Order: sequence, then structure tokens, then C-alpha cells
Amino acid sequence: MTPAKLANDAAVPEEDVLRAGVYDLLAALLARPPARALIDRVAGLEGDETDLGRGIRALSRVARATSETAAEREFSRLFIGMARGELLPYASYYMTGFLHEKPLALLRNDMARRGIERAPNVFEPEDNIASLCEMMAGLILGRFGEPEPLSGQKDFYASHISPWAGHFFADLEGAKGSVFYAPVGAIGRVFMEIEREAFRMGG
Amino acid sequence: MSEEKAATSRRDFLKLASAAAPAIAVAAVGTTGTAEAATAESGSGYRRTEHVEKYLASARF
Repeated sequence: MTPAKLANDAAVPEEDVLRAGVYDLLAALLARPPARALIDRVAGLEGDETDLGRGIRALSRVARATSETAAEREFSRLFIGMARGELLPYASYYMTGFLHEKPLALLRNDMARRGIERAPNVFEPEDNIASLCEMMAGLILGRFGEPEPLSGQKDFYASHISPWAGHFFADLEGAKGSVFYAPVGAIGRVFMEIEREAFRMGG
Repeated sequence: MSEEKAATSRRDFLKLASAAAPAIAVAAVGTTGTAEAATAESGSGYRRTEHVEKYLASARF
């Protein structure tokens, strides 16, 4: 299994490894409140003058001034809340106005077809943004088997992510409760534009 | 032919647009473990995910 895994990685072109890295970062930041180790790593990031680079610089700046407790409080305010958080980061909600609707059912079918399942100790619906980012990274790098060809990545993106993720990241960027998460929203929004454009170019 | 050309320009575009990304790849702590391979075929991935999940749970992430 290990040699096959290495072969998978080696077969993935550099730019796709970069894409998977961005998806992994977004997934790590959105799956749960960031632990100190993640905040520290993010604080050490540097960005260039591209839109993505500016978002990363902003995130790094905010991370340097953020405590674990403050980040946890912010995460909770944004995504959990007393009754509900400020945002509901689910495909179903953004696409239909309700949770557990058809987009979730379609995603579950698609996951089953691709041999992906929810980890046993996760109880959130699969169509949350962190899981979708994680699945994209996994498809690109071949964590669920062979790396998914570009056409398959495009299908998954077009069905489950593209219709709503840009809106969600813009909402996150502008949310009242966003400080640490405002640049996360900016990075996600810019990256979704890059992905859409690249899929359009690459057939 | 035109397909090859498209792929090349996509590569160029992505390299340019995500020039900031190599730094990110270092920062990402790997998978968050909310999804995993369902098939026994990719057994090592499955076990690793389960292991990471247990670790994360014990470390109270």
C-alpha cells in the first residue's frame, strides 16, 4: 500500500498539489476551532502580491494576534451559537434554504459511488464546507484510491461546491463575528474564483 | 492538440494564481479526518485516518 501511495503522490502535478494544499488548509481551519499549533503555523505564512497572497498575509497577521480561546469563541459564534451560529456552512442550506435537502442526498450518492464515507465519529452532515474541501483535496491527491482525473474533480466541484461555496466564503469574510475568519473567507472566495477559472480552461 | 494546449495554459494559470500556495501546503496539518475511503482496498488510508481520528480525539482537538 505504501509504494502505491507514493506513486499516487508522484503522479500528481505540482499545481494540483498546490490546490490540494489550499483545500486542506481551508478544511483544517473550518472543521473545528483551530488549536494553538495550527494558529502558530498560519501565523508563520507569507504571501505575495497576488489576491491569494494578500489573503494569506492578512490571515498571518490576524493569527499572530489571536489566542486559542479567542479563536474558539469566534468559531463558536460563527458556526455553533446559542441556537445557531451566524452562518450555516452547508451546501443544502445555501442551495435550498434548508438543511438535509436534496443537495446532501446527491452528495451522499456521489460519495458512495466514489468509495468515500464519513468518519465514524463525525456526526455533522457531509455537505459542510470543511468536509467538502477535505474531499476535494483527497480526490486530487488520491487519498480515497487513485487520484481523480481532472474531469471527475470538475464534476464533483460543479455539483457540490461551485454553486454555493463562493457565496459562503463571501459571507464568512463579511460576517459580524469574523476577525480571524475574515481572511479565511477572503482566501476561500479568491480560491473558488481561481478554481472556477482553471476548470473552465482545462476542460 | 487543442486539449493539450488548454491543459498547459491551465497549469500556467494555476501556477501564477496560486504562487502563494507552497507556503500553505506546509501549514496544513494534513487531513482533518471527516471523510475517508470506504473500500477495504485503500486499507492503509483507512487505518491511518482512524488512527489520526483517535489521536485527535484524545488530544481533544
